[in-house]
Amino acid sequence: MLTVDDTAKPAGRGPWFWAGLYLASAAIIVALRLTDAITGTVALILFVGAMGLLIPLVRAGERQNCASPVMARYNRRVLAASMGYVLGLGIAIATWNAHELSGPAAFAIALLPTVPTFAMIWAMGRYLIEETDEYQRYRTVRAAIISLGMVLAIGIFWGFLEMFRLVPHVWAWWVLPVWAVGLGLAQMWMKVRGE
Amino acid sequence: MNNRLKVLRAERNWSQQDLAERLGVSRQSVNAIETGRYDPSLPLAFTIAEVFGLPIEAIFSRD
Repeated sequence: MLTVDDTAKPAGRGPWFWAGLYLASAAIIVALRLTDAITGTVALILFVGAMGLLIPLVRAGERQNCASPVMARYNRRVLAASMGYVLGLGIAIATWNAHELSGPAAFAIALLPTVPTFAMIWAMGRYLIEETDEYQRYRTVRAAIISLGMVLAIGIFWGFLEMFRLVPHVWAWWVLPVWAVGLGLAQMWMKVRGE
Repeated sequence: MNNRLKVLRAERNWSQQDLAERLGVSRQSVNAIETGRYDPSLPLAFTIAEVFGLPIEAIFSRD
């Protein structure tokens, strides 16, 4: 008789495996797009598919207890919002390219990638409310403020460089990705300093 | 702020994880408080005092 021993089951791949696979997939898609090997639409479809790799990444992190329940909820919310963002941005760009839109229609497609980014900001707010570990909350708030300082510094400097026509115009939505990168950098900096 | 967390923990043979579980915080939080990298809030300081059964001033002191 065949018996199934749960403890003998492999634990599954670790979070680093899925993170590496996702980054490699994203790099390949970007390379294919930059070399014009694939169209923008194909790149978008592939990118949405690659984002599916983030689901096992988050699950692997939860399985290995890398994240507290509050952090796990935050990761799931940001993951859902990120997928909505890529999908919304893709649909918005495709619609914009296919039709001559203006007024309320243009406003509506602008909302497609915007609403998921609001969800990301909401997820961060919920994390700060739900986090019961005050030290972890302090670290996140500190990283967020350091990153905000970086965004303000870059923004004001770029604004004046742009005013004097030294650099090209950049759309204002850069603030969120740059802030998110700054958040990661600030957390790394705090780790290096042993904070 | 100085604190006697490490000594009090050692007296009870508790690991940082043991103390963290009693306080309902992460092990990193206990480590940060113990090494003086983070001063706990008043509510957490009271909880620490309750866990050790000591008054706050017997655990924390000014530099």
